[in-house]
Amino acid sequence: MKCKRCRKAAAAVDLPSHHSAFCPECFFVFFRRQVEEGIRKFRLFSPDDRVLVCVSGGKDSLVLWDILMELGYRTEGLHIDLGIEGYSARSREKTLAYASSRGKEPIVVDLHAEGVPIPEAAKRARKEECSVCGTVKRYFFNRVAAERGFTVVATGHNLDDEAARLLGNLLHWDADHLSRQHPLLPEAAEGLVRKVKPLWRVSEMETAAYGFLKGIDYVTEECPMSEDATSLIYKEALTLIEEEMPGTRRRFYQGFLDPKNRDVPGNPVADACREDASKDGKDIGEGGTPRKCNSCGAPTYAETCSFCRLKERVTKPQGRS
Amino acid sequence: MPQKKKEMEVPGPRRVADILADAGIRPTTVIVTQGRKLLTKDQRVEDGETIEILSVVSGG
Repeated sequence: MKCKRCRKAAAAVDLPSHHSAFCPECFFVFFRRQVEEGIRKFRLFSPDDRVLVCVSGGKDSLVLWDILMELGYRTEGLHIDLGIEGYSARSREKTLAYASSRGKEPIVVDLHAEGVPIPEAAKRARKEECSVCGTVKRYFFNRVAAERGFTVVATGHNLDDEAARLLGNLLHWDADHLSRQHPLLPEAAEGLVRKVKPLWRVSEMETAAYGFLKGIDYVTEECPMSEDATSLIYKEALTLIEEEMPGTRRRFYQGFLDPKNRDVPGNPVADACREDASKDGKDIGEGGTPRKCNSCGAPTYAETCSFCRLKERVTKPQGRS
Repeated sequence: MPQKKKEMEVPGPRRVADILADAGIRPTTVIVTQGRKLLTKDQRVEDGETIEILSVVSGG
């Protein structure tokens, strides 16, 4: 198969959803344009912004950091060591090795040192690991960005992630989550920095192909805490549809983001989307004016933010209740 | 620990798409590599050659 762009070199990546196939060089052009268009369409950030890229050591986040550096944005990496035996050490090692190869040194937050390694924190708080992980990560994204003067926090969520999340939110008619599902979440209050997902137009396969062709050495194992993640079921369902009808996943998610579809009166999805899209987690999803957490100073509607409440439960001595 | 990388030797010559179909792997969920090369689904793998199949699906 020949590259459908240059029509000279052999194709290395076939993309049925785009009715196309590219050689490595032309695929880089395609990928770069997809990310540029994703940033431009919703004005995610500008060259003046300081972008904090959340890097786990997996393919999506390292590819995100790589392409943003290539596009000339001002970026630094933030790696959160989750404290998961074996997996976290390997993830950290890949992140540091990648950063070093690009002359960078990421900011590292070690959850053991912070007193909230995910497995123990979830056990002590009697909550799902992924839920605790989400709370802790959001907290440190905001805190590191606020403390170090970053204007934007970028994560590596791709088209497959967002389409699967949309399917899950629709199946459960989760209006609250639907209202907050967007590649751009504006700054909600002081200390709640803008969140963006610049890879929202590219698929997991495209991200993996880009990472491989660029020689990015990423963690290939899955997080042991996410083996039973429901998102995998939604992804599988969408894969089944995508292989029969290429391009459906992209049309599904891009249709959701299209302002025309959001203005359908009486549509519960549209209603949810018309709500303020600037909410960021339970702490600020309850209305009113945010105040400062009485423990750490982070914005919250409760007296104490959800991270500090979690930390209190995790660090208090275990005994009879 | 869950691994997303699989190395397999196949009797050839066979198309990548057929190898994946026989292994019950959906083609959009993986990339297939041979050394530093990325293989498209219509490419042929010769007898005794080694390819790597790498899952691209993450659950986080």
